[in-house]
Amino acid sequence: MSIRLYVLRRLVLIIPLLIGLTLLTFIISRVLPGDPVGLAAGPQATAEIKEALRREFGLDQPLPAQYLNYLTGVVRGDWGESLYSRRSVIADISTYFPATLELTITAIAIAAALGVPAGVISALYRNKLPDQITRVLALFFVSFPAFWLAMIFQLIFGLELGWFPVGRRFAAIETPPAAITGMYVLDSLLHLDFESMRMALSHLFVPALVLSFGSLASITRITRASMLEALDKDYVRMERAIGIPNRVIVTKYVLRNAMIATITIISLEFGWLLAGAVLVETIFDFPGMGLYAVESSLRLDFQPIMGITLIYGVVFSLINILTDVVYGILDPRIRYG
Amino acid sequence: MTSPLLEIQNLHLEFKTYDGVARVLAGVNLTMQRGDVLGLVGETGCGKSMTALSVPRLIPMPPGKITEGRILFEGEDLLEKSPHEMQRFRARRLGMIFQDPTTNLNPLFTIREQLIDAVLYQTMDAQRVPGRWKGFLPSVRQTRVLANQRAIELMGLVGIPDGDKRLSDYPHQFSGGMRQRVLIAMALAGKPDLLIADEPTTALDVTIQAQILRLITGLVDRLGVSVLLITHNLGVVAQSCQRVAVMYAGRVIEQAPVRELFKNPKHPYTRGLLHAVPTRHIERGQLSGIPGTIPNLVDPPAGCRFHPRCAHAVEACRAAVPPPYPVGAQHTAECVLFAGGS
Repeated sequence: MSIRLYVLRRLVLIIPLLIGLTLLTFIISRVLPGDPVGLAAGPQATAEIKEALRREFGLDQPLPAQYLNYLTGVVRGDWGESLYSRRSVIADISTYFPATLELTITAIAIAAALGVPAGVISALYRNKLPDQITRVLALFFVSFPAFWLAMIFQLIFGLELGWFPVGRRFAAIETPPAAITGMYVLDSLLHLDFESMRMALSHLFVPALVLSFGSLASITRITRASMLEALDKDYVRMERAIGIPNRVIVTKYVLRNAMIATITIISLEFGWLLAGAVLVETIFDFPGMGLYAVESSLRLDFQPIMGITLIYGVVFSLINILTDVVYGILDPRIRYG
Repeated sequence: MTSPLLEIQNLHLEFKTYDGVARVLAGVNLTMQRGDVLGLVGETGCGKSMTALSVPRLIPMPPGKITEGRILFEGEDLLEKSPHEMQRFRARRLGMIFQDPTTNLNPLFTIREQLIDAVLYQTMDAQRVPGRWKGFLPSVRQTRVLANQRAIELMGLVGIPDGDKRLSDYPHQFSGGMRQRVLIAMALAGKPDLLIADEPTTALDVTIQAQILRLITGLVDRLGVSVLLITHNLGVVAQSCQRVAVMYAGRVIEQAPVRELFKNPKHPYTRGLLHAVPTRHIERGQLSGIPGTIPNLVDPPAGCRFHPRCAHAVEACRAAVPPPYPVGAQHTAECVLFAGGS
């Protein structure tokens, strides 16, 4: 099967997955105890007001009809609106999601850019000083909670040294670049507005760094382990025996074998970062999906919850497809089908 | 007199294990002249492969450690070379083939990629081999075109038809025998002086074994390579070698020309070994093994390591390790039975 056909098939298969996902979230949000309408209408609301709200949001209809209404809305691009703010869910997501995406992509890029070389060096100097240092650091980063590190970094880099702003995505008095993707760094680059880009980056860097630490540790450890495994293979001895220099064996032949496991952990970590960004977003007051999701959940604001689940479902599926395609590029023995 | 191509002198190799220090090689002496095809035989665990891997210095250290001895290649001690000099030596002078062709090729790279690298690094200085990303430079492209031609040539040399097309395939698209041919091509890419073949046919089908052996011996004649052939199969030795060295528990206990050894084995262990080979002349039930088992190398027997299993053992066997005694023309045996000559 050609790679194009394979990707197409996987994309089509996302649809039933999303139907299942929305159904599950729908049921859960309806079964949960609590009365979202009562919460939204406030303590002084009369029964008539609540009834009117209920009718407005279609909550008076039977559950299957509600679900079908939701699905047809989703297909038409109407993801409902928040019970609270009355803002359209799709509009909210298109402001908050790019922020989180930007944050997580930067975090995973930092984690991979530092973690892979650290893992390789660790493996090459197995049980020697560089390896010990990397392993201790990895253990440190994996064990320390991100929120604690976040506050320490705010204190050091934001307040003491004043190198970076303490929070938010952009200086409050400035106008962020006009939205193309909604990711400030990318948008300012597309507008060739380097002043904005510098500002967006300085806001993004510390939260992304803090967010990356857990993944950095995992990527380092997995890369180390898979490098050690690959270095022990017969073909490495053969390559050495016929006179290929060590440098070439490591950077060309062994690294590619080790990268298969590393790619897996990078894609898994990316998913976890997306979902786990909420702590960092809260501390840095970074207006992203995490904050949005937490607030919506606390208010049982079911339309945003459904929308958030849906968009995460799509992103996770896309990451999985991308990972599988990369596997096939790295390892010719993997067949698409 | 010029120095021999390869001369291993009194090589001692130890391995740290959980049970203690295993004395894997205990004074190996081995000499090869230019053009020799020397068979190194012995049971599993007797140190054949360790001897072979010591030459290109591929023994992992630690846990391994060479405690004594020299490995002279054209008179130069390989054990004193720097890692960089060793890489150069392995690239220019040495070729090596291993036992299992399925695990000895890198599964993620095409044969072309691997064979071209073998050609480039065995014929050029490592620093001067251009990276593939520099392919836009005409000089680099020229180098790679030449290497590619050489790769196609090598594929023909080892008898793989349709070489140019097959170069684009990955190792898993080749059969075991074909993979071993590719590995032979990679080992011979830089026209080495010495080829070390560590059980090159053991992992192959019997029918393919003969083909690969014929290929190796044929190439040896054509390219003038000397071969150290490691095997536990005496038939392979009889078929392909001129000289044989028999190893037991970390020492070469007998050395002779092939015909001489098969006709006139001296060391009790060699005799036992030959008796354990089934031939069509043997009557039913006559096939005999050697009593006992190979010794524990952490705590080997004193003196001759074979004496606890030997029917002719005397008190002197326990006292000291016997040196090689001459027992015939170019024939030596490390056994006190021959202390007074044959």
